[in-house]
Amino acid sequence: MFWHSFKYAFSTLIKNRALMFWTLIFPFALALMFNLAFMRLHDYDVFEPFEVAVVNDAGYDKAEIFKEAFKALSEGDERLFNTQYVSKERASELLENEEIEGFVYIADDEPHIQVKKNGSNQTVLATAVEQIMQSSQIIEDIATQKLSESPMAYLNAEQIYQNAVATVAEAEPNVKDDSRVMNMVVIEFYTLIAMSCMQGAMLSSEMIDRALPKNSHRGKRIAVAPTRKSVVVASNLLASYSILLVGVLALIAFMRFVLGVEFGANLGLICAHAAAGSLAATMLGMFLSIALKTNSGAKNIIVIIITMVGCLFAGMFGGQKGWFDSMMPFINKISPVGLITDGYYALYYYEDLGRYWMNLGGLLIISAVFLILSIRGLRRQRYDSI
Amino acid sequence: MKTIIEVKNLVKNYKSKRAVDGLSFDVMEGEILGLLGPNGSGKTTTMNCILALLKFDEGKIKIFGKEMAPDAYDIKSKIGVVFQDVAVFDELTVQGNIDYFCGLYIQDKNTRAEYVEDALKLVGLEENKTQYPKQLSGGLLRRLNIACGIAHKPKLIFLDEPTVAVDPQSRNNILEGIKKLRDDGATIIYTTHYMEEVEILCDRVIILDKGKIIASGTNDELKSLAKIEEKVTVEIPEMNPKQIGALEQIKNVSAVSYENGVLKLVYNRGKNNLADMIKYLDDNKIQYNKIFAERPTLNDVFLELTGKELRD
Ligand SMILES: Nc1ncnc2c1ncn2[C@@H]1O[C@H](COP(=O)(O)OP(=O)(O)OP(=O)(O)O)[C@@H](O)[C@H]1O
Ligand SMILES: [Mg+2]
Repeated sequence: MFWHSFKYAFSTLIKNRALMFWTLIFPFALALMFNLAFMRLHDYDVFEPFEVAVVNDAGYDKAEIFKEAFKALSEGDERLFNTQYVSKERASELLENEEIEGFVYIADDEPHIQVKKNGSNQTVLATAVEQIMQSSQIIEDIATQKLSESPMAYLNAEQIYQNAVATVAEAEPNVKDDSRVMNMVVIEFYTLIAMSCMQGAMLSSEMIDRALPKNSHRGKRIAVAPTRKSVVVASNLLASYSILLVGVLALIAFMRFVLGVEFGANLGLICAHAAAGSLAATMLGMFLSIALKTNSGAKNIIVIIITMVGCLFAGMFGGQKGWFDSMMPFINKISPVGLITDGYYALYYYEDLGRYWMNLGGLLIISAVFLILSIRGLRRQRYDSI
Repeated sequence: MKTIIEVKNLVKNYKSKRAVDGLSFDVMEGEILGLLGPNGSGKTTTMNCILALLKFDEGKIKIFGKEMAPDAYDIKSKIGVVFQDVAVFDELTVQGNIDYFCGLYIQDKNTRAEYVEDALKLVGLEENKTQYPKQLSGGLLRRLNIACGIAHKPKLIFLDEPTVAVDPQSRNNILEGIKKLRDDGATIIYTTHYMEEVEILCDRVIILDKGKIIASGTNDELKSLAKIEEKVTVEIPEMNPKQIGALEQIKNVSAVSYENGVLKLVYNRGKNNLADMIKYLDDNKIQYNKIFAERPTLNDVFLELTGKELRD
């Protein structure tokens, strides 16, 4: 009986175009849009050239390859650096006054960098210098083996630039402030996952409506049949939950592998969090279906409000998450959207899983609360009116 | 004959509104019992109370000799219900819908496949079995709704206004199907506010008004409750008021009207009613064309008992 009910619950839900659009297609479209929007933001924000200095002492004069390469990176529209060529003392002074992000000097024929703090700009500088060193090595090899007339032709500024950019994109931000823009971008993708989980409330409320005589005519049929209501409810919930979870996991895979959104390495917990988030939304939907009398739009409106307010506080519409966290910390602690978002955030940014477990626990508590609140309504067998 | 349903003193209030007011009746094995009443008379409420969907304030309900309850699964497995509103899945085909609802009663797949075929045949939807509800006309949709409720071959069937807003062809199909279910041994409770259906279909009728039984019995028994014996309509091209006045004086005539060349007479019980009238027309040299005589309908019974029409 359970599987009979499950089979039909699953196949009817999957054929429900409207619900499937919002569950399985819309989040993907939104993820793509986010991606396009942030790609532009990326180009614009992260790779704004920044101030650096190069110490132009005798060592510098000798390092020909370095000279050429660094010059290439400091010229044109796509340049990485606004470079000043100064003495070491002056460079130190500029760094001290934070007028530059760092400076490069040559000692023992090798470039070294000096920075005051760690950040994405410093990472770019370090990467660029390292790339230059690798390139010089190749060029020197070519030169000593006399493989080419003009070894300098092998100095590929474009390549160095690309590598520096790629390195920044992949840079492990150990400290929160490390890469402000990146930080904001992943959060917005995480809220999108949360939003996608919340769709589960719509699915489950539809499925519970179907099973209850006060909510639908089909529910009356089930109520007069010799099948236990609990069996129909459980199979309907399982059907909606499994469709939802597949959708959410597919969305995460799409973000990770197609759009390159970072999630950290803990695959098991990434999936567990999706499962817990989907569960909380599913239980919320069940509760709403039981608590509200009619099969009206009211349920959907409530779900949308909970989702959108949650998304706002979790930082979907700009990187205010931190601000909301400090101003109204409780909202993100009780909003499923906040818990889902913050869980992914914690998995990505923190080595220590404490913060992650708090979020996971929060989601499980929400699920349990709505389940308990629902059971009373589910056990009701006769109605005052239907 | 066995009693299948016993309802004793059923009272149901919606908040302060009394919808069912002390109903008591029995349903006998193998009969089609008509529950006839105007909108809001409490037919659906009564049915939902019997099915243990609704709480009620007073009364006892037994089905198959046992007290009905929400978890009386053995009783429920022998009942089929067709609710007033169409309840099907738009995402499933005709066949899929019947299979789903039948599957809530019948586990065995092979038996179920047979039953689904039988149900399709009964309501005449074999040709449409791969169609979706949205593709069906109103009448066919109603037939699907019925098939979903009775495919598991229940012993006791409730039908709540299954022919509302249905074309004559589908209506005939539905009524034939219901008769066939009865002939196959089912007991049927048929709710409607169409008295014509009750007259063709039902073995026994309960007339409800404002949650109370105002009359019950076979069609003939109910009609004998009416004071009127027959209604006569005569086409007469011309008549003067004096002649109409004279007609009113004839024995047993209870009402006379003349409009647009049509004379209508209502007779109370009595002998030779028609003959007396024709004699009067002949004696007074009044020309007449066609004469019709009708027996009283359940509507007339209802009108006499409540002072209002069964249907508006
Ligand atoms: N859920 C409800 N809440 C309050 N009053 C109700 C409810 N359902 C029905 N009623 C009232 O109870 C009375 C009986 O309604 P019911 O639906 O049983 O009548 P019915 O005979 O089936 O009518 P119809 O022919 O329109 O289907 C009506 O006056 C109706 O307004
Ligand atoms: Mg009704």
